[in-house]
Amino acid sequence: MDLGISALNYINSIKNGEFTVEEFTLKSLERISQVDEKLHAFLRVNDLAIKNAREIDTKIKSNQNVGKCYGMPISVKDNICIEGSKTTCASKVLENFIAPYTSTVISKLNSEDAIIIGKTNLDEFAMGLSTEFSAYGPSRNPWNTDYVPGGSSGGSGVSVSANECIASLGSDTGGSIRNPASFCSVVGLKPTYGLVSRYGLVSYANSIEQIGPMTKTVEDSAFLLNIISGIDSNDNTTVDNKNQDYLNNIDAGINGKKIGIVTEMTNPDGLSTDVLDATNDAIKTFEKLGANCEQISLEMVRYAVAAYYTITSTEAGSNLARYDNIRYGYEFDSSGFEFNSYISQARSKFGPEVIRRMILGGFVPSAGHAGKYFSKALKVKSKLIAEIKHVFEKFDYLISPTVPIQPFKFGEKINDPVSFMMVDFNTVTANLTGIPAISVPYKITNGLPIGIQIMANHEEEHSLLQAAYALEKTVDLPEVPA
Amino acid sequence: MKNLVNEEEISEVAKLMKINLEDHSDHVKRVQKMLEYFDILDDANVESEEIIVQETDLGKLRNDKYNQYDKNLLKFLKRYQEKYVKAPKLN
Repeated sequence: MDLGISALNYINSIKNGEFTVEEFTLKSLERISQVDEKLHAFLRVNDLAIKNAREIDTKIKSNQNVGKCYGMPISVKDNICIEGSKTTCASKVLENFIAPYTSTVISKLNSEDAIIIGKTNLDEFAMGLSTEFSAYGPSRNPWNTDYVPGGSSGGSGVSVSANECIASLGSDTGGSIRNPASFCSVVGLKPTYGLVSRYGLVSYANSIEQIGPMTKTVEDSAFLLNIISGIDSNDNTTVDNKNQDYLNNIDAGINGKKIGIVTEMTNPDGLSTDVLDATNDAIKTFEKLGANCEQISLEMVRYAVAAYYTITSTEAGSNLARYDNIRYGYEFDSSGFEFNSYISQARSKFGPEVIRRMILGGFVPSAGHAGKYFSKALKVKSKLIAEIKHVFEKFDYLISPTVPIQPFKFGEKINDPVSFMMVDFNTVTANLTGIPAISVPYKITNGLPIGIQIMANHEEEHSLLQAAYALEKTVDLPEVPA
Repeated sequence: MKNLVNEEEISEVAKLMKINLEDHSDHVKRVQKMLEYFDILDDANVESEEIIVQETDLGKLRNDKYNQYDKNLLKFLKRYQEKYVKAPKLN
């Protein structure tokens, strides 16, 4: 049994009776027990996975209606709620938090007979890009365990890359799906803002974050997007996609399409030569596929990281104000505390990165500084949206390396906040402007992955996935080391 | 630009955000570095720019109707008693 098969091949194998859901689930759990002590993709594994698998097998055997997922094991980032189970956001502050309701994306997966095999590791409250800020220890890159897997959805990326599950759901605020997808050599899609319900996603910066799939193939991302997208009465930011089928004509190709190569993203400070070489190679590949590639400049991209961190820190400061250890929290004796000092002391259990972002989030929108930071950040965001709108009048896609560098070693960047922020340089634009973007595995250099980012206009996921599929079909990458 | 922020200011913001900080110096250094980088926003030449909000067609939004929530969320509150949320007992 090949645990590395795609979601679509898994479904065919189940339909053809090559193995049962229980057999595959059991093998996946065995794989997790073999490798996860080292990789630490999972914070928890679902104790009921085998029971769920048997129930789906029974449905299949008795010719009952079976959901589209046919029991495929899917992991879920631990900031997405499942009723009755822990959702920790990789924080000590929520170490015993039991979610009181199920997120819309999980309800949709459950109704299609997916098996949620476990909850995956992340940087605390999704603030980070390496999982080094998880309160429960980092995840490790399966391509080389001395290196970070990316983040914040690092556990999700690792779980798919290391064949511990078929696919995963992550969340992307500034690249948190695409960055680990690039670092772990899997496909990662950040959908258009509003295409996927955020109901049940623990908020970090709710004006820009999105849930999206992380998968082994582009087709699998389209398959999962078909399931999780669409309007939701519990999230009034969602848009009606009229049940669009993203798998339909995914192999249509990109002949005659116009691609803009974002100049600012292909020569940022610190861009590695290996990543640049891979990007130039990908551009040639797109041209061979019949696309017309042209350099374009987006002036505001240069300011996007500063705008992104200003806006997200402000929203984080607001969103995390609710963790006062009164309505929910951890056991902490209140004896000897005055009311406010109890809350302040309880909140000191946040990890260092969350604390820093909350401080920044208190500072940049404050009366004395808002004009210098927050107001300008919002204006940069507005101008960037206008620039993006303008370029998509001429181009079908924009491309860049997903991340300007390859995976880095643990501890390499943790003490330099600016160099850390710059890792997000190419990904934050899609979040600030709300457009969809996907990372496609393109190359393995020096034993470590490089991903290519493709962006499209709002709600153009169908076309975006066609381009990603076309690129994916030109590459033949090695298997992840066992 | 130097000394954008000092320990006193960080301490004040931390109080505002309700966080006890044992050692401010590390946070001061990091926040200072980040703010120095944020100075790049001064070069963006956006003073005359209008702040716009993402537009979504009304037809794509959900119907404006009330949906009854079918679960009693209050039962999940650990320290809920009758109509009240129980705060920790304080001296």
